[in-house]
Amino acid sequence: MEEEKLIELAQKGDKNALADLVKQYEQTVYNFSFKICRNKDRAENTMQETFLSMVKNLHQFSGESKLSTWLYRVVANHCLMLARSQNKYEFASLDDEDALIDEKNIADWKVTPEKVIENKELKSFLDEAIEKLAPEYRIVFLLRDVEGLSTEETAKITEISVPAVKSRLHRARAFLRNELDMRFKQ
Amino acid sequence: MNDKKLNCKDVMAHICDNLGEELNSPKCVEIKNHIENCDNCKNYFNSVETTIQFYKKYNVSVSEDAHNRLVEALGLKE
Repeated sequence: MEEEKLIELAQKGDKNALADLVKQYEQTVYNFSFKICRNKDRAENTMQETFLSMVKNLHQFSGESKLSTWLYRVVANHCLMLARSQNKYEFASLDDEDALIDEKNIADWKVTPEKVIENKELKSFLDEAIEKLAPEYRIVFLLRDVEGLSTEETAKITEISVPAVKSRLHRARAFLRNELDMRFKQ
Repeated sequence: MNDKKLNCKDVMAHICDNLGEELNSPKCVEIKNHIENCDNCKNYFNSVETTIQFYKKYNVSVSEDAHNRLVEALGLKE
C-alpha cells in the first residue's frame, strides 16, 4: 500500500496501517539515531521517542513534506536535546576554518571502506572520531553525506540556512578527514 | 576565485563545500582539471570521499528485542 494511504488510515486510527508505517521506518530511524548517538541504548531510546511522537502527532501531519523528513527532524531534535542535557563531552572547536586544511603533503590512504563492516577496532575508531564533533556538525554531516539528503532538505530539518549547512558540512568533513588521516596516512 | 589561478587550498576548500553537487559548474570543471594534475589535491579529494564512505558503510540493525520493545511501547503488539 502507498505511504500516503497508510498515513491516511493511521490518522483514522487503523493500527495495522500504523504498524506498517513503523515497520517501514524503524530500521532507518534506529540506524540514524545510532549514527548520531554512537550508542545502542541511546539509539533505541531515541527510536522509541521518535515513534511515540509520530503516533501522538500524526493527526497534524499534512503531507507537505515527506514522512521521512519529519522523522529525521524528530530524531535530530531528540539527540540534540539528549546531548545538551548530558553536556559532559568536550567537543572539538571548529572555529578556525583555515586550520582545518593543511594543504601540504596530503597522503594517499590506500584503504577500502568495505573493511569497516567486519572490523570492530575500526568501528571503534570511527566512533571516537565522530564523537569529537559537536552534535550540530555531526547531524549535518550525517544527513547530507551519509543519509544522502539534499542541502535544502538538510537545512529544513536542522532549521538553519543553506549557507550554514554548507559551512558546517565543510568543517565536519575536513575535521573527520583529519582525524582519520592520523590512522590511514602511509 | 574566477579571476586568479586556483591554489590547492582553494581547491580543497571547494571540494569540501561542494563534493557531490554542482559538478558541471565552471568552478567545478576548473577544480576537476586542477585535481587531475595535482597529486596532493587528488589524495585530499579521495580521502574526503573515503571518510564519507566509511560512515555510510557503518550501519546497525534493529535487534528483535528492540523491535518487540518498540511495538509494545506503541501498543502495537503483534
